[in-house]
Amino acid sequence: MKRFLREHSYTLLLVGILIVTIVILSIASPYFLSWKNCRNILNQSAIYLVLSVGMTFVICMGEIDLSVGAIIGFSGMIMGMLCVAGVPSLLAVLLGLMVASAIGFTNGFLVSYCKINSFIVTLAMMTILRGVILVWTNAKPIYGFSDIFTFLGSGKIGPVNVPIVLSLLIAAVGAVILHKTVLGNYCLFCGTNELAANRAGINVRKYKIMIFTICGLCAGIAGLIVTARLNSAEPLAGQGYEMDAIAATILGGTSMQGGKGNVLGTVIACLILNILKNGLVLLSISSHYQEVLTGAILIVAVFISESNKRKRSEV
Amino acid sequence: MKKKFLGLLLCLALIFSMTVMGGCSNSEPAEEPAEETTEEAAETTESGEQTVFQQALAQVDVDLAPLPEKGTGVNLGAIESTLSNSFWVTMQEGYEEAAEEYGVTVDVQATDSDTDTAGQLGILEDMLVKDYKAIAVSPLTGDCLISGIVQANQDDVKIITTGNEVDEEALAAAGGAIAGKITVDFYNQGVLGAQYIIDKVGTPGKVAVIAGNEGGTQADARRDGAKDTFEKAGYEVVSVEQCDFDVQKAYDAATAIIEANPDLIGFTCGNDDMALGVVKALQEKEMKDKVMVVGVDFTAEAKAAIQDGSYDATVAMSPYLMGREGIIIMLKALEGQDVSSVGDSTPMAVVDASNVAQMDDWK
Repeated sequence: MKRFLREHSYTLLLVGILIVTIVILSIASPYFLSWKNCRNILNQSAIYLVLSVGMTFVICMGEIDLSVGAIIGFSGMIMGMLCVAGVPSLLAVLLGLMVASAIGFTNGFLVSYCKINSFIVTLAMMTILRGVILVWTNAKPIYGFSDIFTFLGSGKIGPVNVPIVLSLLIAAVGAVILHKTVLGNYCLFCGTNELAANRAGINVRKYKIMIFTICGLCAGIAGLIVTARLNSAEPLAGQGYEMDAIAATILGGTSMQGGKGNVLGTVIACLILNILKNGLVLLSISSHYQEVLTGAILIVAVFISESNKRKRSEV
Repeated sequence: MKKKFLGLLLCLALIFSMTVMGGCSNSEPAEEPAEETTEEAAETTESGEQTVFQQALAQVDVDLAPLPEKGTGVNLGAIESTLSNSFWVTMQEGYEEAAEEYGVTVDVQATDSDTDTAGQLGILEDMLVKDYKAIAVSPLTGDCLISGIVQANQDDVKIITTGNEVDEEALAAAGGAIAGKITVDFYNQGVLGAQYIIDKVGTPGKVAVIAGNEGGTQADARRDGAKDTFEKAGYEVVSVEQCDFDVQKAYDAATAIIEANPDLIGFTCGNDDMALGVVKALQEKEMKDKVMVVGVDFTAEAKAAIQDGSYDATVAMSPYLMGREGIIIMLKALEGQDVSSVGDSTPMAVVDASNVAQMDDWK
């Protein structure tokens, strides 16, 4: 029991913050706990959730991916163009996701085989993708999709929106992969000590390419949700989302140095950030304060997480 | 360990104080000029002379008659594009002061950036949870709010659009509708600028049009308005340049155009920033006294340049009055009046050296 508490102290802290936030907001606004509002929060979190799960893999391996926001825009554009050109919706979605994975694969290849720092690779990828989007679309949105396609973004399965189902499913799969499979273990091992992992006979390059591909795929799914929700592929969709995803991942307890990752924490962190966003709108407070609040929470959370880690290593 | 906690505390204290101080300094000046203008308004009405702004204000009430009943106390909402642009901040002022005048409440929200379309939809969805009777939205793109508007229709919340428009065809296809809209006649802004040059010069000659970004609704409409007006009046449009609302690009384009056409008589520009870039290029070539420059927006810099005589004229539009119209139209819609065809006439004024002195209270 004690060991459980110690190992999961940070996740429990996050749950605590989540509960306190919910309690405060439900006292402050009578609308907060309504089913409709809870559904709103989950629905809006979906995009960030999918994105952050992918980011968790990359960050816990000690790398970073700044291109996910641009991949949202790019994969959305590909799906939009294919749909409008008459390709069946589901095939268009599949091709869009494949393109997103291919971009992730390229990122991974450049990082592992060409030995370029992932910050630089993905930063460059981000600007390249945005540029290509603007050239191909002439900076104009693509719109007018089939019902099947928009169902994936704004449809409902029973009382629950499709993006909610999709994002929770991906979070669950992500958690299983990271915590229960060889891929996840190796990924954490490489993040802790790449050299040691290499000496132990792990093909570090292969796993790096795999996690960047996973991250690209997640961004592609986020792109699908954004495009289908808005019923239009915007050239600038997803701009700046990479920072939200990184913030949620770090707040969730994944270490920037690698070697430590927590999908459940990421999920809770995403919820906290989106609940704050929602709560401030309900309380009619300017969204500018939310940015200040997000930054402050991030500093405090990482401080606590790091000081916990240090304490343990000192013992 | 203690030192680190101290550091963290210090950091938080800093953030907190910045927020509080920022909040104070934001709200104070916003209130002051508002008081001033009401005082001024009282003074000038006493002396019988109205400023351009007061005429426009009165025109809004005439255009929107019959005006809705005051003091109903309903809750209204408004979603703007982004509050990091002074246009929307002034519009928020218009919303809030009109709401106060009509005895209703209004909550104004905005996205953090001009590009966060999903975020704007999120704000609309969040606002629909509260009991707003009507919401005025300024969509970032024609499509991004459609599913939210459909939801609002189901919840019986009236939606109008202000400034930016929603793609009504796509909205109708999704089964939604808006109660009314306030559009800005960007084409007319181009017409007014070109007409000003035509009126001042009298005899047809060579002119050039400096446009904004290709594909942008406002940029294209302003460009076409100016070009069509010139051509109808028999002027020769020697060049139409896309300068993306960028000062430097406008400066470069103007330099090239004037080099090729030394007998040019005028430039119309898609906004004031570009127009001032053109003015600078002309000044360096010592050609400014021979060439007229007209822009759109009436920014603070443009006002100063008109006052010191270096810049000829600009077309001013009032985001404040647009916000005011938004409140009035929402209230009219709630009373069951048909507002589907009102609000197409946002007041505009051409400002030059002759009337810039009366424009102090324009907002």
